[in-house]
Amino acid sequence: MDKILLIDDEPDILRVLGISLRADGYEVIPALNGAEGLQAFSREKPPIVITDIKMPGMDGIEVLEKIKALDPNTEVIIITGHGDIDNAIESLKYGASDFINKPVRDEALSIALARAKEKLDIRQKLSEYTTDLEKKIESATRELRRQTNFQIKLIRSSNDGIVATDQDLEVVIYNPGAESIFGYNQNEVIYKMAITELFPPEIADQFREALKGENGMKDIAWRETAIVARDGLDIPVRFSGTILQENGKEMGTVAFFQDLREIKRLEKELVKSERLAAVGQTVAGLAHGIKNILHGLKGGSYLVDIGIQRDDTEKLKKGWETIKRNIGRTSNLVMDLLSYSKEREPEYDACEPNEIVNDVYELVKAKASENRVDIAVEPDDTIGEVIMDGSIIHEVLLNLASNAVDACLFDEDVSKNWQVKLKTEMEPQHVIKFEVSDNGAGMEQEVLQKLFTSFFSTKGHRGTGLGLMVSRKLVEEHHGKIAVTSQLGRGTTFTVRLPYRTVEAGSPEK
Amino acid sequence: MGKKVLVVDDDPDVRLFSVTVLEENGYTPLEAANGEEGLKMIKEEKPDLVILDILMPRQSGIRLYRELKTDKALKKIEVIILSGIAKKTFLRSQKALTEFGGEEVPEPKVYLEKPVEPEVLAAEIKKILD
Repeated sequence: MDKILLIDDEPDILRVLGISLRADGYEVIPALNGAEGLQAFSREKPPIVITDIKMPGMDGIEVLEKIKALDPNTEVIIITGHGDIDNAIESLKYGASDFINKPVRDEALSIALARAKEKLDIRQKLSEYTTDLEKKIESATRELRRQTNFQIKLIRSSNDGIVATDQDLEVVIYNPGAESIFGYNQNEVIYKMAITELFPPEIADQFREALKGENGMKDIAWRETAIVARDGLDIPVRFSGTILQENGKEMGTVAFFQDLREIKRLEKELVKSERLAAVGQTVAGLAHGIKNILHGLKGGSYLVDIGIQRDDTEKLKKGWETIKRNIGRTSNLVMDLLSYSKEREPEYDACEPNEIVNDVYELVKAKASENRVDIAVEPDDTIGEVIMDGSIIHEVLLNLASNAVDACLFDEDVSKNWQVKLKTEMEPQHVIKFEVSDNGAGMEQEVLQKLFTSFFSTKGHRGTGLGLMVSRKLVEEHHGKIAVTSQLGRGTTFTVRLPYRTVEAGSPEK
Repeated sequence: MGKKVLVVDDDPDVRLFSVTVLEENGYTPLEAANGEEGLKMIKEEKPDLVILDILMPRQSGIRLYRELKTDKALKKIEVIILSGIAKKTFLRSQKALTEFGGEEVPEPKVYLEKPVEPEVLAAEIKKILD
């Protein structure tokens, strides 16, 4: 129920109006003068006050003034006498809500009250609305701050290196993940470096072009590459990038880097342990190789013994040569074993692959023609001087070429014209393909499977059983690939693909 | 002239060894460097004994042994296998070839795995030929 403070110096009016208001459902607080009214106001805090304007002592205007001072939201309705227009106007100045003329008619009173109530309601709603709005803004701000903090934490705690820039490519975000990859501290980079100084040129260029909208690129897909850290070391990474846009306009870039050092190290270790396991597993194969050599040494010393007993220089000479030959075989086996189990970084230098192929050709030519095998070289003349490890090419091709001649030697189909071919071919993406093919004995599937991984020989005294394992290892160290196709009775083709750099560019891509 | 013994091996060191053992013990050695050549010489020379290697170019010892032991005229010729390959492996290969539709061949009389002492080889040869 709404309270109304009713102030009038005439008790009759006070009584009559009071009855009428109570009948309308209001709780009426009557007061016979201004002072009494103000007292009641302070005590009861009614939202609506109705006061006569003409009263002895404190008049209605003064009451209005004081009430407004106490609570400006109070609706004050002034009752004016006949011809009291000036006072009525003044009362409006002090913030009276309304005024009604004497004699007070019920109708006029209820209209004034309805208006006052409406104003109160609106004010109430407005206040609620404002409070609500403030609350909403506060909670939105809190949420925004929380999200920002969350994102900052997310960026900070990410294991990936995250580097974001503004549209001038200047670094604005550079997280600890990036610190550990690039080796620079945050305070050396943020607002101090541009990614053109931090990233390899190819990545920085990609971002720059994307920002200018030149290559129409918005996302740079994950790829493996390497960055150069502060100390000059190449760090293998997975990289991806995005162009940041706002309202369709490029506003910056963000790059993500995953550190691949640990993975690369593990991969290397795995390859190494596989290789050592292969050596271990095939001790039997090794024993076989040694057995043959031992037999040769025994034969040699047998001959030497006879030579000494009989003073037979011819026997001595033959025996000694046999021993020397088998010492040579021992050393081949040991060298193969060593080069297989030892880590070696390729030594990249300028070389001419076609020249190396020719050298290999010269080395196997004699053995080939002795055994009625034609050998031919088919070089790709577009290959000139490049940066590769020439000694790897030489060793691998020599092994494959002499294998190819052996494959003809071991062929039981004597009607064939045996042929060995050495080919080079330039391939896209800085790769040179070397091909060694023969039309000799060929191999069964079973043999093909263990070719590169097992200590294995079908050549008796001719091989250590390690040649292809060593070749594969060398090729892989040169970041290349070796493959083989073969058909029993038809021949075999080995394909080696090795990456190269042009002489201007330096060492090959990893 | 002593009895004729053919040495079939692609490794010249092994041939030299066997030939010397034979000479020292009064036999007449013959040499062949691969299976193909070996079979030809067996047919031409009819040796009393063949000392045979397994892993050789131009027809392996496994095939040569099979051809020898399935030829009516030649099957009487005795064979000593002298190889780096284990006897087990050799027998398994022969068994596989038999199952593949070949005739059954007898096990070789003597199977020596390299390395072999000259005295042991000489004793085995004597046991067969004398």
